[in-house]
Amino acid sequence: MDKIGLYLGCNIPLKAPDIEQSFRKIFPALGVEPVDLQGATCCPAWGTAPSFDMDTWCAVSCRNVVLAEQANVDLMTGCNSCFGILSEAKHYMEDEARRKRVNEKLAAIDREYKGSSEIYHVAHVLHKKIGVEKIRENLKYSLDDLKIAVQTGCHTLWPSDVFTIKEDNPYQPTILRELCEATGASVPHYSRLESCCGMGGMRSTDVEKSLGLFRDKLLSIKEETDADMIVTTCSSCFLQFDMSQPILKERGMIDFEPIPTFYYTQVLAMAMGFDPAQVAAISQIDRSGVIKEIQNEKRLVKEVA
Amino acid sequence: MIIDQEKINEAIRTIQEYGGHGILNCVQCGACSAICPGVKAGFPLLCRNLIRHLLNGQLEEIIEDSSSWGCQACNRCTEVCPQGVRPQEVVFAFRRYQGNQLAFSTSAVTSQMNLYETGHAVYSDPKELRKQVGLPEETPTSAFDEKARQEIQALINAGPMGELGLF
Repeated sequence: MDKIGLYLGCNIPLKAPDIEQSFRKIFPALGVEPVDLQGATCCPAWGTAPSFDMDTWCAVSCRNVVLAEQANVDLMTGCNSCFGILSEAKHYMEDEARRKRVNEKLAAIDREYKGSSEIYHVAHVLHKKIGVEKIRENLKYSLDDLKIAVQTGCHTLWPSDVFTIKEDNPYQPTILRELCEATGASVPHYSRLESCCGMGGMRSTDVEKSLGLFRDKLLSIKEETDADMIVTTCSSCFLQFDMSQPILKERGMIDFEPIPTFYYTQVLAMAMGFDPAQVAAISQIDRSGVIKEIQNEKRLVKEVA
Repeated sequence: MIIDQEKINEAIRTIQEYGGHGILNCVQCGACSAICPGVKAGFPLLCRNLIRHLLNGQLEEIIEDSSSWGCQACNRCTEVCPQGVRPQEVVFAFRRYQGNQLAFSTSAVTSQMNLYETGHAVYSDPKELRKQVGLPEETPTSAFDEKARQEIQALINAGPMGELGLF
């Protein structure tokens, strides 16, 4: 079985471990074995080391990459921010002078960055290594006639010149749409498909501005798709959609019920027959209706071992 | 406003030292601001307008403005800039200038402390949630790995962040 280093980041293992559990269920079933990167830290998030000192940023990022290098595997993250941060750090390490300085810092903790491990996002591994055909073959339930609005998020899209693994056109992302379509669901286009959800530094700096931007995007989804659920491959977007829809509803800023939101692998895990109590258990929004519908008996396609 | 060449030089030197190498390529076309979610959300000093202030030598004058901390680092600006400015790098260079002058909100201190103490910028005790979903209560990360925490503290202490007096 192919192995890949599972880099967890912060939000997924600490706040949304049901997403982590969904990784641990689906990947081995699809022929990829996730390997823990023992002692991994924060990527480090944009608001920490990258906001103070580039060499410290690169040192902390590269320490995480080194954990994968030492295990002789590529690195896979489920968090868009981690993907962006680690990819940019690798890009900055192409500067020989920086590489020398950062490796001196790493030498003090007995580590050395070589640059031999590639950075993948979970969505990339599913789409490019496993492929939609294999996903289709492993479905237990088909999501036929369910409608999904997709949220790709920012940090796997731009700046495209520093990513090795990426979309064909970052303004028209298709990877998540194709992954969702593989479950049998329909994935209608909406005009603010690639716009920002307002999470991240924006939300911690000015929550009202963040909610304003989020509401624009949400209204576009509701009015143009009337989706049964929102599906994302960004753990930060997930948290924004899950925690901020109820806030808008409570304030009377939206006139519809919050739309159930999932991380993609949660939906896939359920479609593959895994227990929602393990893979889709933690949310602010009540998702029980759509969870029940996904694993409705009438959707059974075949028994998988 | 009086334009002072000394102040312009200082602003440009500061931004370039903190990583905004492309600032002098800017022709103020505004492509970056047109696509910036932060500008759309209403932050006044991002992308084109931030660069304009810096190119005019207005560095200290805007040190208290929080716009740069509202930047999502999404890099739409970097993608569209026709001049290779990489505006996000300029925004973050300005943020680094602010950060090293301790010109940031107290809410941003928490994530530095979390990172230093647990290795995670965002930290909450995960044991109950992890148990609920059938995972080991402890993560295989620095949160439960003393050696990993020592390593990250050594990396932070070895740079300018260690001199901020936060830890």
